[in-house]
Amino acid sequence: MGYKLTPAGFGALLDELATNYQIFGPVRYAGKGRLAGTDLTTYGPVRSVSDLVWDARTTFAPKEVFFPVKESLLYFSGQEITEPSLEMKETLVFLRACDLNAVSRLDKIFLANGPEPDSYYARRRQHIHFVLMECQEGFPGCFCVSMGTNMATGHQAALRLENDHYLLQALAEPWIALGERYGQPARVEPVWVEKNPLTVRVPERVDIALFQHELWREYACRCIACGRCTLSCPTCSCFSVQDVIYRDNPERGERRRVWASCQIDGFTDMAGGHQVRADRGDRIRFKVLHKIYDFRRRFGINMCVGCGRCEEVCPEYISFARCVNTLNQLMEVQGRDA
Amino acid sequence: MSYNTKELIKNAYRITSQRGFTALRIRVPGGHLEASYLGLIQDIARRYGNGTVHLTTRQGFEIPGIPLDKVPEVNRLLAPLLEKEAALGVPIENFQAGYPAAGTRNVTACIGSRVCPFANFDTIALAQKIESLIYPNHYHVKIAITGCPNDCIKAHLQDIGIIGQVEPEYDPGRCIACQACVKNCRQFIVGALEMDNYQVQRDGKRCLGCGECILQCPMAAWTRGPRYYRIVALGRTGKKSPRLAATFLEWIDEKAVLQVIANLYRYIDRHIDRSLPKEHVGYIVDRTGYQVFKEELLEGVDLGPKGRVARELPFYGYSYDRNLYMEG
Amino acid sequence: MPNPYLPVPAKILAIQPQTPVDYTFKLATDIEPAWGQFVEISLPGYGEAPISISDAGAGYIELTIRRVGQVTTALHRLNPGDTVYLRGPYGTGFPLAEFAGHQLVIAAGGTGVAPVKGLINYYANHPGELEGLHLLLGFKTPADILFRADIERWQTIFPTILTVDQGPGGWPGRVGLVTEFVREIPLKPHARIIVVGPPLMIEFTVAEFIKHQVNPEQIWVSLERRMHCGLGKCGHCKINDFYVCLEGPVFNYSQARNLVD
Repeated sequence: MGYKLTPAGFGALLDELATNYQIFGPVRYAGKGRLAGTDLTTYGPVRSVSDLVWDARTTFAPKEVFFPVKESLLYFSGQEITEPSLEMKETLVFLRACDLNAVSRLDKIFLANGPEPDSYYARRRQHIHFVLMECQEGFPGCFCVSMGTNMATGHQAALRLENDHYLLQALAEPWIALGERYGQPARVEPVWVEKNPLTVRVPERVDIALFQHELWREYACRCIACGRCTLSCPTCSCFSVQDVIYRDNPERGERRRVWASCQIDGFTDMAGGHQVRADRGDRIRFKVLHKIYDFRRRFGINMCVGCGRCEEVCPEYISFARCVNTLNQLMEVQGRDA
Repeated sequence: MSYNTKELIKNAYRITSQRGFTALRIRVPGGHLEASYLGLIQDIARRYGNGTVHLTTRQGFEIPGIPLDKVPEVNRLLAPLLEKEAALGVPIENFQAGYPAAGTRNVTACIGSRVCPFANFDTIALAQKIESLIYPNHYHVKIAITGCPNDCIKAHLQDIGIIGQVEPEYDPGRCIACQACVKNCRQFIVGALEMDNYQVQRDGKRCLGCGECILQCPMAAWTRGPRYYRIVALGRTGKKSPRLAATFLEWIDEKAVLQVIANLYRYIDRHIDRSLPKEHVGYIVDRTGYQVFKEELLEGVDLGPKGRVARELPFYGYSYDRNLYMEG
Repeated sequence: MPNPYLPVPAKILAIQPQTPVDYTFKLATDIEPAWGQFVEISLPGYGEAPISISDAGAGYIELTIRRVGQVTTALHRLNPGDTVYLRGPYGTGFPLAEFAGHQLVIAAGGTGVAPVKGLINYYANHPGELEGLHLLLGFKTPADILFRADIERWQTIFPTILTVDQGPGGWPGRVGLVTEFVREIPLKPHARIIVVGPPLMIEFTVAEFIKHQVNPEQIWVSLERRMHCGLGKCGHCKINDFYVCLEGPVFNYSQARNLVD
């Protein structure tokens, strides 16, 4: 069902939703950018229509709404261990097609990899509902079309900002009822980005011999191992486990998990100090191949969704897209030589 | 030849080593200028000077080789530059008469946040605002503004050096304990950060407000809080007793900075030794003592909840008593 | 939904120091591991550590733990009767079906003996499952030798080569790296080989077996990585498209040789 809404109408719709849902979406925080005088656009609570940011990519991905940066796994008090309870309001997340596709990648790791689902992820995930923000065109550095993530499924509704009004495609309740109440019926067909200026060609196969290629040595010099590419990635799911003792009561504390990055020192450190992946070029290889090869070998789809964040946030101008295209060329050359 | 050297100097012309010729100093507040003015500077240098231009240590242009009798003509050409000063809010009475004063030197600034990622604010904009507050003025005062404690503009060699500060705000919920901020602060800055229980603790009294933790943080766990300024005072070079400026005030807001600068001129006015041809503010403080300086510069200044003032100014450093350490 | 991160308490039944830094903890638990699997052991406030199971029996498992980090240092301070917390067992152990009816050679270095100790004891009790078991055990110095009592017993049952890298005067046994003694083992054409130990020891020992006409498919290794979850979620132990905590820690060498960190 399609509806046309004025900003005021959509605002009223959001107000009604807010009584039953918590709503997250791309929000701009003035002056909170890394550099002086810049803003931070990232996921946060949406309190009004005007909060929703349409004209910029978020620095961080929506995953933090249901895969929190830090999550308590258990509390301990003396010998007693208790599991944290979760009372979570139904949650709406406004997001782009690439990010919605990324959710299915996170689902693979947390729900399908290994012998059993991750209960902490699963119990949050069931309260999460998605509203697609349609892209008229991508942002610089997007390559969703190359990754096949320009289209998405699994959302309750799709929203388009067109001139001075919103077009809503309601695919499920409560959106149909809300559309009826706050909008005018309209013909709304989904719109997808059909073309990005940037094309990324993912090699079908990556030869293990390329692991030693000089390409990675260049990154060893350029990468500063800050981890931004992974922490802003909508599909990165790695975490570390920390035990914390409360300072005011050493008998009590918690075990929690916290986002981790394969690019940051310490990720592969073993007790005693041995590091299995010390070289930064090797770390980039590890990350890139996971995104476009290893994950696909395990789950049949590429992990990368082409959102372009990793390139945008890299302070050293390292381009994931260029790296993948280079790998593809190297494999093509190898194929011709063979 | 008959010229009033005192008047020439106040008009931003110099008595030079070449008799009969002068050099004009063009002010560039904040060291930043629309490129369109370069044509005018080129024109003056070619038509009236010796065809060269010197880039001054105070970020202005100095055009040497101008015959003294051409000064009125050159002054008329300066109208566009004076109009620019007026646009900043500087009161200019006569746009045909050249610069109305030269004692208070060009306010210099590092390139600031328009270009430099380390800068905590737009230094050029503040330099231009201060220009409108203190110019024209015959008192000899040097002010420089820098975006962070790297102090690329050498604010520590000025009477008043203004250094941008930012109060970093920490969201422990976003911190992944990567330690990028802690390691950077320990290695390159003052070591104000420590990791305790997977959480960063910041020593606010030690922190310089340089903002590097915000730059380092890959998670935006550190973000920019309110902007503040640190003022370093009474640095100087020279033949008598050079010294680096010491921190006079810190964690104060822009309004306080502007009030302190206005008060500085009132202090000079009260205490300057008028029997001398000129007296540099540093030497006035040497006579009145720091406590008078402090009291008068803080008159009516709201330091805000975080502002801190120096009990005294601990000058360290330079000694011309070379016999203490030179061989031979 | 069950919470796979919740550990269960386990009482320490006994602590047997093997060396000044290696203690064997006997823990009361009904975990029934496959040989080669590991558990996550934890002490609240100190953290979790993945430790391979060095032996098991009815109502207990044994972990041989070297004191190298925060968690293991805290564990070494405990006494019998104290409680630790366990999750697991995790990972894929040794494929006993692949070994059945064949000659098996187990080459283990240092703490690498721990993950195979239970397996060796199993075959000591079920000698008919194999067409002979050869042991090649190496330690740095005589002082580093683990499981002395077990080794003495194994020496009476299986052809066993025990060697140390450096032997002081008075050490009656063999001196030299494990690799130097591979040639002394009378390898049968379809022999199965297990190599466990530090990364370099694995690399050179496997190479030695391959030099003696053993196919990579006949060799299994056990890899050590820093698993945080043991459940295939945390990502720390991923290599290529494998998770050491799921498909490993035991890998056939035909697979392991293509794993690049």
